[in-house]
Amino acid sequence: MDFTVIRDNLGYFLLGAYPDGPLGGAALTLALSVLSGLASAIIGLGLGVALTLIRGRRRLPLLAVLGFFRAIPVLMLIFWAYFLLPILFKVDVPALATVVCALSLIGGAYLAHSVHAGIRSLPEGQWAAARALGMRPGQVLRLVILPQALPIMLPSFLNQWVALIKDTSLAYVIGVGELSFVATQVSNRVMVHPTEIFLFVAVVYFVFCASLDLAAGLLARRRSRRRQVSA
Amino acid sequence: MFGELLAPQYLTWLLDGFLLTLVLSALACLFSTALGFPLCLARLSPRRLWSWPARAYLMVFRTTPLLIQLFFWYFGVTSLLPEDLVAWLNMPHEVALGPAHLEWPSFEFIAGLWGLTLYTSAFIAEEFRAGVASVRDEQRAAGLALGLKPAQVWRYVILPQALRTALPPLLGQYMNALKNSSLAMAIGLAELSYASRQVETETFKTFQAFGIATLLYIATIAVIEVIGQMLQQRKRFRRGVI
Repeated sequence: MDFTVIRDNLGYFLLGAYPDGPLGGAALTLALSVLSGLASAIIGLGLGVALTLIRGRRRLPLLAVLGFFRAIPVLMLIFWAYFLLPILFKVDVPALATVVCALSLIGGAYLAHSVHAGIRSLPEGQWAAARALGMRPGQVLRLVILPQALPIMLPSFLNQWVALIKDTSLAYVIGVGELSFVATQVSNRVMVHPTEIFLFVAVVYFVFCASLDLAAGLLARRRSRRRQVSA
Repeated sequence: MFGELLAPQYLTWLLDGFLLTLVLSALACLFSTALGFPLCLARLSPRRLWSWPARAYLMVFRTTPLLIQLFFWYFGVTSLLPEDLVAWLNMPHEVALGPAHLEWPSFEFIAGLWGLTLYTSAFIAEEFRAGVASVRDEQRAAGLALGLKPAQVWRYVILPQALRTALPPLLGQYMNALKNSSLAMAIGLAELSYASRQVETETFKTFQAFGIATLLYIATIAVIEVIGQMLQQRKRFRRGVI
């Protein structure tokens, strides 16, 4: 094992060509995951609330759309976005935006069900009591339900973020210069030590994801302990 | 935008890719279930000698991207293996199983299957663990009090209930394995995503190439979903006997 190849290219792995060129490497991976994480949180919240409020037959199209995004491989959706977005908006969409769009749609579809489950986990009495106080449904949601439900959902948001960080590696297929792309680039250029390069890249992802994973686990455990104490 | 239909030749490419996707993900599901179960037992073991390595395995394989794992196995490990072995793996062999002759799979297939299996097994082990955790401790105590041996408690008390709880998430992981098999295109395995990309570059009929591939993925996921629903409707299942 010879890790000099890592040392020589460390700046490139972490920042890409920055500051002489566009941001890349691990920094871009983080930026991509934060952007798509925020977008998918917003989409997930919106659709999750919609899942709760909409009843009857009108719910079916929503369920079908969510099912579609949960059933399609991330890679296929990136292909679709790469091809469809320029047609829809009649402008050249940068590859970065394509990836963020695809990842947020998938993340949002998964989160919608977690948000829905989180809202449903509150007792029905909360809704009834708030309505009895004369609140409109929107107010009930904003002032009573969500403040209680959001902390419950926090671990699943963090878990989804971990999944998103891992999925940003797929941006590699349309040439976005994030960590995986940079890794294959360096590996192809130096032609030796692919083991060390991919091992190093795996460690970087591991550090990102494992810390988030631990945080999610701690949060969930603290919640359940507090619930046992109060029960 | 849609143009003429795809020529039969390209449909064959897509179909071949689909078959490869099915074989790859089915084998990966099979092996990763076989691997995930002992992993779960090791993770639950009270002895640190067993539980710590299992914990580390689960953490590492669940928090690194599958793409990097595939690159690691395909490019990284290959350069460490003795040259003779790599040459032997790359050579076509015939495996004779009784009257049936199996064609030796490509090296990409072996690497993809290996990577996908290890990745999926970590998730499956966690689903098993959640299933076992859902069985109350009192059940185990009651089994022991009835005079069952610890192994019998596992076989007759804990497992039937744990598997019933774990079945839906387990099927979810099988669906994930199917979707994740698309990443094998990055190491050059000509599965469905690879084929759709190839057809697209050859014909420029993007809608059809991606559309057919997407439909095939969704149809397969739907079939798994239906199988799951049917299993859960069965009486035997609802009584917790698997």
